[in-house]
Amino acid sequence: MKNKEVLFGLYDDEEVLLTAVKNARTAHLDIMDVYSPFPVHGLDPILGLSESRIHQAGFVFGLIGTLTAFLFMTWVFTRDWPIIFGGKPYWSVPAFIPIIFELTVLFASIGMVVTYYAVNGQGPGVSNPVLDDRITDDKFCVAFDVTDTAVDRVDVYQQFFRETGASEVKTKTI
Amino acid sequence: MSAVVSPIREPLITGHKDYHQITEDICAPSERTPSVAWVVAFLVAVSLLSFGIFCILWTIWFGIGTWNLNRTIGWGWDITNFVWWIGIGHAGTLISAILLLFRQKWRTGVNRAAEAMTIFAVLCAALFPGIHVGRIWVVFYFFPYPNTRGPLWVNFNSPLLWDLFAISTYFTVSLLFWYTGLVPDFATLRDRASGMRKKFYNYLSFGWTGAAKHWQRFESLSLVLAGLATPLVLSVHTIVSFDFATSVIPGWHTTIFPPYFVAGAIFSGFAMVLTLMVITRKILKLEDYITIEHIDSMNKVILLTGTIVGVAYLTELFIAWYSGYIYEQFAFLNRVQGIYWWAYIGMMSCNVLSPQIFWSSKMRRNITVTFLMSIFVNIGMWFERFVIIPTTLARDYLPSSWSYYSPTWVEIGIFLGTLGIFFTLYLIFTRVAPVVAIAEVKAILKSAGDQYTGEAMKKSHAAHDSHLEHGH
Amino acid sequence: MNQFTLVGRERTILFSFMILGLVCMGITFIVDDEFHSRFWSNFLHNSVFFTGIAFLALMFLCANVIALSGWHVVFKRLWEAYAQFLLVGIILMTVVVIGVWFHAHHLYHWADAESVANDEILEGKSGFLNPVMYTIFSIIVVGVWYFFATKMRALSIEEDGVAKYDFSIHKKKMKTWASWFLPIGGFTSAAVIWQWIMSIDAHWYSTLFAWYCTISWFVSMLCITVLTLIYLKSRGFYEQVDANHFHDLGKYVFGFSVFWTYLWFSQYMLIWYGNIGEETIYFHQRLEQYPVLFYGNLIVNFVLPFFVLLRNDTKRKMGVMAVICSIVLFGHWVDYFLMIKPGVLHTAHELLGHGGHSALMGAAEAIPVGHQVAADAQAHAEHASNFVSGFSLPGLLEVGTFLGFAALFVFFFMRQLEQAPLVPERDPYIDESLHHHVV
Repeated sequence: MKNKEVLFGLYDDEEVLLTAVKNARTAHLDIMDVYSPFPVHGLDPILGLSESRIHQAGFVFGLIGTLTAFLFMTWVFTRDWPIIFGGKPYWSVPAFIPIIFELTVLFASIGMVVTYYAVNGQGPGVSNPVLDDRITDDKFCVAFDVTDTAVDRVDVYQQFFRETGASEVKTKTI
Repeated sequence: MSAVVSPIREPLITGHKDYHQITEDICAPSERTPSVAWVVAFLVAVSLLSFGIFCILWTIWFGIGTWNLNRTIGWGWDITNFVWWIGIGHAGTLISAILLLFRQKWRTGVNRAAEAMTIFAVLCAALFPGIHVGRIWVVFYFFPYPNTRGPLWVNFNSPLLWDLFAISTYFTVSLLFWYTGLVPDFATLRDRASGMRKKFYNYLSFGWTGAAKHWQRFESLSLVLAGLATPLVLSVHTIVSFDFATSVIPGWHTTIFPPYFVAGAIFSGFAMVLTLMVITRKILKLEDYITIEHIDSMNKVILLTGTIVGVAYLTELFIAWYSGYIYEQFAFLNRVQGIYWWAYIGMMSCNVLSPQIFWSSKMRRNITVTFLMSIFVNIGMWFERFVIIPTTLARDYLPSSWSYYSPTWVEIGIFLGTLGIFFTLYLIFTRVAPVVAIAEVKAILKSAGDQYTGEAMKKSHAAHDSHLEHGH
Repeated sequence: MNQFTLVGRERTILFSFMILGLVCMGITFIVDDEFHSRFWSNFLHNSVFFTGIAFLALMFLCANVIALSGWHVVFKRLWEAYAQFLLVGIILMTVVVIGVWFHAHHLYHWADAESVANDEILEGKSGFLNPVMYTIFSIIVVGVWYFFATKMRALSIEEDGVAKYDFSIHKKKMKTWASWFLPIGGFTSAAVIWQWIMSIDAHWYSTLFAWYCTISWFVSMLCITVLTLIYLKSRGFYEQVDANHFHDLGKYVFGFSVFWTYLWFSQYMLIWYGNIGEETIYFHQRLEQYPVLFYGNLIVNFVLPFFVLLRNDTKRKMGVMAVICSIVLFGHWVDYFLMIKPGVLHTAHELLGHGGHSALMGAAEAIPVGHQVAADAQAHAEHASNFVSGFSLPGLLEVGTFLGFAALFVFFFMRQLEQAPLVPERDPYIDESLHHHVV
C-alpha cells in the first residue's frame, strides 16, 4: 500500500472543531477525515456523511433469523419427527414464539456487529495508523491528505489551521 | 452546538473536569499497581472460586446424589441460584439499553461496569443448567445439531429449551454490546501505554482511530443494539418465568409471572450494581463520575421495581383467594405458614418492606443505607426464588408426596463458588478495562458537568437574563 | 398562539357526534334484548375505555415528573386536560353503579343474588364482588384519582405565575404529589380493573389481567395525544411541537404496542400451555365465537404499529402518525370490546335461558368440569354460527356510541385546555422541550 502523507491539525474543543469543519466545507477543502475522542453531535451533517445503513442490515439479518427459526421448527415437528408433546397439536406456533424471537435478535445482533467491524476495517489485532495519541484523550483532529500535493495547496491548509484556531499542526506519513 | 439543559438538573460529573482529566481519572486504576484492598479481595474471590470448582468436580464425579434433591423437590438451590444470577444480570442491559433509549445521561457513569456484571452473572447462571443434568459430558445434547440418533432433535416446545436459546442469545448480545462500547476506551488505553501493555490494548482495541464515520456507525449500532437488547432482556427473564408458569402447579401457573419476574430481575440487578458501585467508586476514587445523583437514580429504580414486585405479590395473594381454587389458596397459605415460613418472611421484609425507605430522598442519597439495602434486596430476591421453587414443590397436590429439602455442603459450596467466579471476574475487569465509559462520559461533559449545569448554570442564566433586561 | 379556544365549528361537530351517540344509545336500548345487554355493555365499554385513558394520562404525567423528563413539557397540558375527564368518568360509572343496585342491567353475573346463591364460586368471591365494593371502587377510588388530577393541575397553573428559574413548586410540591399518586394509582387501579372488567367473566381470573388492561389504556392515551397535537397544530397552535416530539411519541406508541403484545402473548400462551379448562374457556370462547375480532386485535395492535413505526422516518411524519394512531386507538377500543362483550352475552344467556342453573363455566365440582365444558361448548356450538348483533362484531350502533363518547371526551378536554395557556412557560424543563432534538 502506497504511503500517505497527512497534514493534520489538533483542536482543543469540539465547538472549535465544528466551526473549523464548517469553514473547510465552505472553502471546498477536501478533508481526508475528522477524528475525535467521542462522537461529536452535529458533525455528521456538516461533514456531509450519508446515514449509516447498519440498521437496515440488522433488519435483514433479523428477518433471516425469524424465518430460520420458524421454518426449521415447523419442519422438525411436522415433517421430520412429529411427536405429541403435552397433548398439543404437532404444529404448535405459540410454543415456537420464544425461540423465533431469540433467534431473530441473535442473528440481527451478530450480523450487525460483524458488518460494523468489516465496514469499519476493524477487528481483533487490526492496527490502523494513529495520527496522534492524544486524539483518544482530549484532542480533536482534522486531517488532509497531502501526498504529492503542491506547496501552495499545502499552504492553504496551513492557513486554514491558523485561522480556525488549531492548537497544533503536524504532518505524518502513514 | 450544545444541547439545551435545564438548570434544574443536578450535575452528573463533579470536580470541574475537562476531557483530559476524565481520561486520567478513569484510566488510572488499570495503570497503577493494584491496591492492597484489591489483592485481598482477589484472594478471597479466588478462594471461593476454587472451592466452588472443587464442589462442581465433586458433583460431576459422584453424581447428583451429592445434592439433596429428591422426589418431589427436583429443583432446589441449583435452580434458585440459576434464576438469582440471571436476574442479577438484567441490570447491565437495562442500564445500557433501556436507559439509552430513554436518553438518561446518568447511565454513562455506571453502564460499563453494569454490562460487565451482566456477562459475569450470566456465566454464573449458565453453570447451573450445565451441571444439574448429571451427565455434563453429553450436555451438548441440548443443542439442535444434526446427529446420528435419528436425527433426534431437541424439544423446541419446552420452556427449558427456550431458556437455552434465551440465555445463549442474551450472553452473546450482551457481550457484543459491551465490547463494542469498550473498543474506543481500549484505544484510549492503548494510546497511553507502551511495551507489552500497548501490544495488549492494541489487540483489544481492534484498530480504532476515532474517525467521524466510525463514530457515526458506532452510534447507529449502539442505538439498534439497544433497541434489540431491550426486548431481549425482557424476554430472557420472561422465558425463565415460563419454566414455572407453563406448568399446572398452583403458585407457579399464573399469568403475572413474566413481567413480575422481569421487574424482580431489574430489582436485584440494580441492587448488585449498587453493591459493586458503592465500593468501586470509593476504592478507585471515581466519586466524581459515579455521583450521589447516580446512586439516587438507581435507588429510585429499586423503589419502583420493588413496589412492582410488591404489587405482584399482593395480586397473587388476592387472586388466589378470588379464584376459589383450594389448591391455589393452599399454595399461598403454605408459603406463609408452612415449613419454609422463614423464607417467606425474609422475602417480604427484604423485598417489600425495606425498599420503602427509599421514599425518602435523604435515604436514597445515603451511601451506607444504600449499601446495606442493596445486600438486603439481593438476599430478599434469593428468598423469593427459594419460596417459589422448593417451598411450592415441597407441598404440591399429593400429601403422600410431600417432602423436605435442605442443601448439602456441595450445593452451598457451588453457590459460594459462583460468588467467587463473579467477583474474581469483576476484579480482573477493574484492572484491565476502564470501569466507567470514558468516551460516553466525555460526550455528556458539556451538558452534565458541574461547571455547565446545576447551580452554576442557574446563576449564569439569571445573570444573563438580568443583563438582557438591563441592556435593552 | 398560546391560548386555546373552542370555535363554533368545533362545538357544532362535537355536539353533533354527541347527539349521534345519544341517538345510537337510544336505538340500541329499543332494539335490545330484555336485559338491554347491548345498551349497557356499550355504555360500560366506552365509559371504562375513556375513564382509563384519563387515568393513564395522570399516571404518565406523574411518572414523567418523577423521572425528571423534560422533552414532553411543551404539551403536558394535554395530559392535565385528559386527566380531568376522571370527573366525567365518575359520573358515568355512577350510572353503572346505580344500575347494579337497582338491577337495571345484568352486566355482572355476581350482581344477581339468585345466581350467587346457587354458585359456590360466585359465593366465594362475593366478599369482593358485591355492590358495596363496586360502589367504593368506582366512585370513591376514582374520586381519589380525580383529586390528584386536580391537585397536579392546580400546581401546574400555579407554576405559571412564578419567576423564571424558581423551581420551588416543582421540587417541593409537584414531585411529592406525583410520587404519592403513582403507588396509589398503581395499587388501586388493579382492583378497579378487576371490578369493572375481569368480573364480567366472573368464573375466570388471570393475575396479569390488570397490567394488560393498563397498557392497552396507555397506548390508547398516547394515540389520542398524537391525534390531538396534529389537530391543534392544524389550527395553528403548538408551533413549537415539531417532528422531534412526534418521533418520541411514535417511539412510545411503538414500544408499548410491542409491550402490549408481550403481555397479550404471556396471558394467552400460559393459559394455552397449561390447558386447564377453567382458564382456557376464556380464550376458547373468544376464538370460537369472535375469531375476526380475536385475530384482528393482534393484527391491528401489533403487526401494524410494529412494521409501520419501526422506521425512523414514519414516526416523524404527521400524516402517517395520524393514520396509525387512529387505527391503533380503534384497535384498542376493539381490544376492550373483546374483553367485555363475550362475558356480558354469556351472562345474559345464562340468566335468560337457564334460569337458576349454576354457571356452566367452571362449576364447583372439579372433576365433572370437563364434561361441563364439553356440554357448554356443545350448547355454544349452536350459538357459534349465530351472529349476535352488537356482540360478534361492533355494529354501526357501537361505532356511533363510541363516536359519541369520543366527542364527549374531546369536548371535555378541550374545555379544560381553554382554562390555561397551552404551553407552560415556567415549567423548569421548558427550554429543553422547546429545543428538543431527536437524532
